[in-house]
Amino acid sequence: MRIYEDLRVVQARLAILQAIAVVLVALLVVQFWSLQVLRARHFRGLAENNRSRVVTLAAPRGTLLDRGGQVLVGNRPSFNILLSPEHAPDLDRVVARLAATLGVGEATIRERLARRQPYRPVVVKTDATLEDVAALDVRRRELPEVTVEVVPLRSYPLASAAAHALGRVGEISERQLQLPEFKGLAQGSLVGQAGIESLYNRELMGKDGFRRVVVNSRGLEVTEASRQPPEDGPNLTLSIDAGLQAAVEKAFEGRAGSAVALDPRTGEILAMASTPAYDPNEFTTGIDPTLWASLATDPRTPLMNRVIQGAYSPGSTFKVIAATAALEEGLITPATTFYCPGYLNVYNATFQCRGGRGHGLMDLRGALAHSCNVYFYQVGIRLEIGRLAKWAKLMGLGAPTGVDLPHEASGLMPSPEWKMRLFKAPWYAGETVSVAIGQGQVNATPLQMARVTAVIAGGGHLVSPHLVKAAAGGSRATPPRPLGIRPETIAAVKEGMCAVVAEGTGWRARLQTVAVCGKTGSAQVVSSSRLEKSPNAFEMQPHGWFLAFAPAENPTIALAVLVEHGRSGGESAAPVARQILAHHFGLDRPAAPGAAGVADAEAED
Amino acid sequence: MPVGIDRRLVHNIDWVLLGATLTLALVGVAMVYSATHTGRSPDLYLKQLALVGLGTLGLVVASAVDYRRLADRAVLLYVLSVVALLYVLRFAPVIAGTRRWIVLGGFQLQPSELVKIAAAVFVAKVFAEYRQETLGLRDVLLPGAAVGFLALLIAREPDLGTAACLVPLFLAVAFLAGLRMRAVVGLAAVLLLTAALAWPLLKDYQRTRIYTFLDPSLDPRGAGYQKIQSQIAVGSGGLLGRGFLEGSQAQLGYLPARHTDFIFSVLAEEAGFVGVVVALALYLLVLWRMLETARLARDRLGAFLVAGIAGSFAFQVVYNVAMVAGLVPVKGLPLPLMSYGGSSILSSLLGIGLVLSVRMRRFAN
Repeated sequence: MRIYEDLRVVQARLAILQAIAVVLVALLVVQFWSLQVLRARHFRGLAENNRSRVVTLAAPRGTLLDRGGQVLVGNRPSFNILLSPEHAPDLDRVVARLAATLGVGEATIRERLARRQPYRPVVVKTDATLEDVAALDVRRRELPEVTVEVVPLRSYPLASAAAHALGRVGEISERQLQLPEFKGLAQGSLVGQAGIESLYNRELMGKDGFRRVVVNSRGLEVTEASRQPPEDGPNLTLSIDAGLQAAVEKAFEGRAGSAVALDPRTGEILAMASTPAYDPNEFTTGIDPTLWASLATDPRTPLMNRVIQGAYSPGSTFKVIAATAALEEGLITPATTFYCPGYLNVYNATFQCRGGRGHGLMDLRGALAHSCNVYFYQVGIRLEIGRLAKWAKLMGLGAPTGVDLPHEASGLMPSPEWKMRLFKAPWYAGETVSVAIGQGQVNATPLQMARVTAVIAGGGHLVSPHLVKAAAGGSRATPPRPLGIRPETIAAVKEGMCAVVAEGTGWRARLQTVAVCGKTGSAQVVSSSRLEKSPNAFEMQPHGWFLAFAPAENPTIALAVLVEHGRSGGESAAPVARQILAHHFGLDRPAAPGAAGVADAEAED
Repeated sequence: MPVGIDRRLVHNIDWVLLGATLTLALVGVAMVYSATHTGRSPDLYLKQLALVGLGTLGLVVASAVDYRRLADRAVLLYVLSVVALLYVLRFAPVIAGTRRWIVLGGFQLQPSELVKIAAAVFVAKVFAEYRQETLGLRDVLLPGAAVGFLALLIAREPDLGTAACLVPLFLAVAFLAGLRMRAVVGLAAVLLLTAALAWPLLKDYQRTRIYTFLDPSLDPRGAGYQKIQSQIAVGSGGLLGRGFLEGSQAQLGYLPARHTDFIFSVLAEEAGFVGVVVALALYLLVLWRMLETARLARDRLGAFLVAGIAGSFAFQVVYNVAMVAGLVPVKGLPLPLMSYGGSSILSSLLGIGLVLSVRMRRFAN
């Protein structure tokens, strides 16, 4: 017997279930349509972002060469240890293991991880040793998230020599990232932070290349999708003479100060030293914070380039300008004489000469040779501040020289207008008397004074001092500008300057075979009365200046030397200038075999 | 147990259902290959293929069984299920924080998968015994409690996904058996209330999963990761897919559980929207033929048995695919017929075998 059950309710409700099934599947299809058709591009981008990683291939910065082709700043290969944390299954373990292997603090790694940009590997250690790399290679399988990249690292073979001129590189700062000149650079990029490295940063950087690689979910590189090789930064030839630079550094050993040597015909800077200095190699992988703090707060300011940033009272070296101005304005001739009794009473004040006993009757040659103040007081009184300031400015004071280095100081050439503007007070004639011998408000950088020297040495041309001799984009220097000074004026000042070395205050700069011309100076640091109270305190001693050029005929070098707290320029700065000049003229090389005995005897001295 | 294989039975084999089922299983094998061929166990697809073969054998056996004789032993099957689940809870080794598997001579068997079949037989039998036209809530209370007890045991493993499968299984059968619409609504309300009450009982990771489902960016490296990566895989597949073995999300390992719960992501990435539509069409076809079988069944028992199996099958497919598409929270629920896993494959094919059995016997005495 067969019993047919009543299945009508069952069948009616089955139709409802079938409808539900169709509706649910249709909803799923709609969702997949939305994901796979409408938003496919978005998700394709995310998938691409997952799997492809761009690895920057750092372009080596351009090499800096000296005028003879010697490498002043180069690159050396170094190892960076990178961590790709995106897909690390157990980051804590990786960090702990890395810290132990590399001898880096776990906290340091975590701090770097916290600062990272998404989908960019984090540099765990820069400039790692070969031992580090070998140790990681052994643990390759346990640490697939860790990679080693070879990057060019800036190297400064001269260490601290010429450090201020060459500059340094460092990680780009947050503030720099906002500036237009650093547009397009990523966080962590190395950029020039001082000197030529900074001013020519864009040219030197070259163009970074990149590798687009496919990585798996653990961050392991699977294949390379594409590669654009980096373009090296172009080389830059500087006018610096590495040998001369070394001689300058040696001459300054242990002393604070600065020196700059120019070719008076072109304005090329042959050597530039500022001491105390720092070693730019310390900065290339990110400077140690404690070292940075000690450099930045050191009262001897090792980070400052004194040649262009140190504004010093020019002292008696200013007499070169005063003499040129007076001759050109027709107020004196080389034969004009003034009597020096050791002081001058004028404008209800007494102005002292050096030494005190008086120089007697002085002409221009004698006044320069012995640095007679009274002579130049008289010159100043006749010139008045207007004409004095005009000539000082013509010869480059009170304005940056335009040297191809960043952050150059202007120095100051005071004038009545300047004083009224700043102090709301009239100019007193007595101030002109002080300014005429380089005291008072006037101040200048060593580079400005070297340029003044070059005006006399080069026959009346104002050079544009520069360090870059040849760059891809051409040197930024402009040709020397004639100032229209009469040859007789140049000849008279030159004669006086030669007498300074031949028979005057600058005798310590004398060379046996080459005629050296120069001018001494001392820049007061504190007032004379304060100096008298504690005459032996080092930091109260005046700075010693010496300007020089040589040979007297057709000079090939002009320089300014400043020894901080060196008392008088003749005592402290002239011997430094002598060493520099001796090297320039090849007189510091070991003597010929026949003359060995003489050289030894001098060394015993 | 009488096993009859006569001509009339063979004549009524639903070849469309069988064909669609085996096609999906073989696509699954191909996707398992794609998901694992570069990994630590590149031969997993062969194991899956063997399991499909074994499951097909089980399917043939199940179709040969007269479901009415099986239903006669429904109480025994229920008791065996309870015993197996208690055994698992008491003695099974802890694997990945759960007790789900019985290890038998190198094979891992997941009793909860087979309990679904037993539960379908049990529920079908109970409701087939009712003789009234319509059922009230009171009528479904007892069978509901019995199934709920099974679900509770499975949920304790914990395996919320499989436990949840018993709910649509039960509801589908109760619905067909004539549960009043008012009662259906009431039951839905009770279930929602239960879910709300269960919230504090959930484990932390389960709650985290629900939070991050609502906002995956909360934890892109943790619980939100699976959803995000799955959506990326699906979306980047585009209209035509990235090609077999060419999906970067699957091949480079960004996709989690890609040969098990997220196998459909692999398909969506490599075969694209077109592949997804084809696969969903096959699943819908399977479901449609199941419900057709229920409609054509010679008795209420057959219709209820098929409806129970279809209910749990449909829930798993829809939930898993919706999870892959980022529509519902991530839950460990395999995709029937495609996900790698012996118990799941075996259970799916056995269930379909029973469906075939019901259809084959639509005219049988």
